[in-house]
Amino acid sequence: MTTTTETVEREQRAFDAVELARHPDRPRALQVIETAFDDWTELRGDRLYGDDRAVVGGPAYLAGHPVMVIGQQKGTDPMSRALHNFGMPHPEGYRKAQRLMRQAEKFAMPVVCLVDTPAAHAGVGAEERGQAWAIAESLLCMLSLRTPTVSVVLSEGGSGGALALAVADRVLALENAVYTVAPPETCAAILYRDASQRARAAAALRPGVGTAYDIGLVDELIPEPDPGAHAHAAVVIAAMRGALIRHLGELGAIPLDVLVKERAARYRAAGG
Amino acid sequence: MAERTSGMTARQKPPSRRLQAPGPQLRPVAASHGTIACPACGRRYVIERYAEDLNVCAACGHHGRVSARQRIEELADPTTVELVSSDVGDRDPLKFDDGVPYPERVELARERTGLDEAFLVARASLSGVPVVIAAMDFGFLGGSLGSAAGEIFARACEDAVAERRALVAVCTSGGARMQEGIASLAQMARCSTGVAAVVEARLPYISVLGDPCFGGVTASFAVQADVILAEPGARIGFAGGRVIEQATHDRLPDGFQTAEFLLAHGMVDAVVDRRQLQPAIARLLSFYTAAR
Repeated sequence: MTTTTETVEREQRAFDAVELARHPDRPRALQVIETAFDDWTELRGDRLYGDDRAVVGGPAYLAGHPVMVIGQQKGTDPMSRALHNFGMPHPEGYRKAQRLMRQAEKFAMPVVCLVDTPAAHAGVGAEERGQAWAIAESLLCMLSLRTPTVSVVLSEGGSGGALALAVADRVLALENAVYTVAPPETCAAILYRDASQRARAAAALRPGVGTAYDIGLVDELIPEPDPGAHAHAAVVIAAMRGALIRHLGELGAIPLDVLVKERAARYRAAGG
Repeated sequence: MAERTSGMTARQKPPSRRLQAPGPQLRPVAASHGTIACPACGRRYVIERYAEDLNVCAACGHHGRVSARQRIEELADPTTVELVSSDVGDRDPLKFDDGVPYPERVELARERTGLDEAFLVARASLSGVPVVIAAMDFGFLGGSLGSAAGEIFARACEDAVAERRALVAVCTSGGARMQEGIASLAQMARCSTGVAAVVEARLPYISVLGDPCFGGVTASFAVQADVILAEPGARIGFAGGRVIEQATHDRLPDGFQTAEFLLAHGMVDAVVDRRQLQPAIARLLSFYTAAR
């Protein structure tokens, strides 16, 4: 009986952590861009089909240096959440990101990616336009990019939809974020054939960014004062900004050939 | 997503007609002693006769599932196959246990398939062209991509680069291996580093997509090839049709996510009958290797 109660409590704690990462007041990509960067200038469209509002991007200054900032934007109220499709990109979003990354490479600007998505969009149009193809191309693009790259997992890093913006030289994450192979609901549907067992899936899959840190997929956790980033956005964004400047400074000192080689070696070993 | 409450009811409930529409790519049904029935039209074959046609039904053209071993045999020149060791160690990063500990599930899959992992890799010749063939086996935990499978594929790419061989991948998978959590997601990046090395070495990479092919496998190495071929009727995509229906309430178009649908949308180069795959790949490789 005690064991059962303990299990239920453990599973509930695991899912509470997921809920915390999904708190609606956590800092979103646009808020980070507006606070931590200067003169961000949005560039839109993938030049192939459309403009995906779940992904925003464009050049900006970080501490006086030009950088390309690309973020998955979840939205902050019902209207903007719908506009940004809850941060779930279509293929156009990944292709826009690739376009901006190539542009950054051309003009020797580092790339900063802000990851915040439950998953890539699952829909008829997304499949028709090659969701898998767009993500696969993003992975190759990020691996080959001859400019420094830093990704930050803000709140939710879900599935290949998150990884497509996270194959970076350095990956940071806010302490209470989750980074998972799929949202716990999807994992539960696959593993237990029952999406309502999401708490059980959350406990089994250890979706907290600590797990990604342990296996070396995340390099640094940015601390969040209690009760979390939703209550201390300014403090957390300032810490994130400091970490970005530090990492980009370190990466800028590495010759590009070495940088790309080290990135390949890192992901060659990824996941043990 | 919660339309099924237990494994038992799932088995009793008939699958929805719409999801059946592209043609169920099931394992051939053992009909009676020494014969086998096509799962699509029910026509019976002597097992050896069915295998001669690479598990393609001579009557309706339905492509039945084939093992990774059969894949390599059907593509490689006879007597040139040299299997590469796929013993890369065991992994259980989450100490995952959903009633059956994950290592036991892996062991069971090994007993059932005779394979170490969801990938089987061989060095071989394909109509005289030196190749590395990396074939997935859906029978091994749904062809799911875990750390060991990712390591096997990355090594296959490195072998191709080291020995200047073309890469041929036969992909069939449900996607990432959930039991390995975030480590399985990382395999999409690991496998991509392998493909990137093959790209950098300017070696040809041909990918064959079999039924089914979804998730993190489709969204990484399966579609990073120079040429992508798909088998008739194969269901291929990122998210599964059932997930899409439930998430969006969209009506799925006819033939959604079939090989033919993807051809029409510009996502694959050709839909090729399995009995024509070997000559099709041989002809492609001849173009890309003639200049050497």
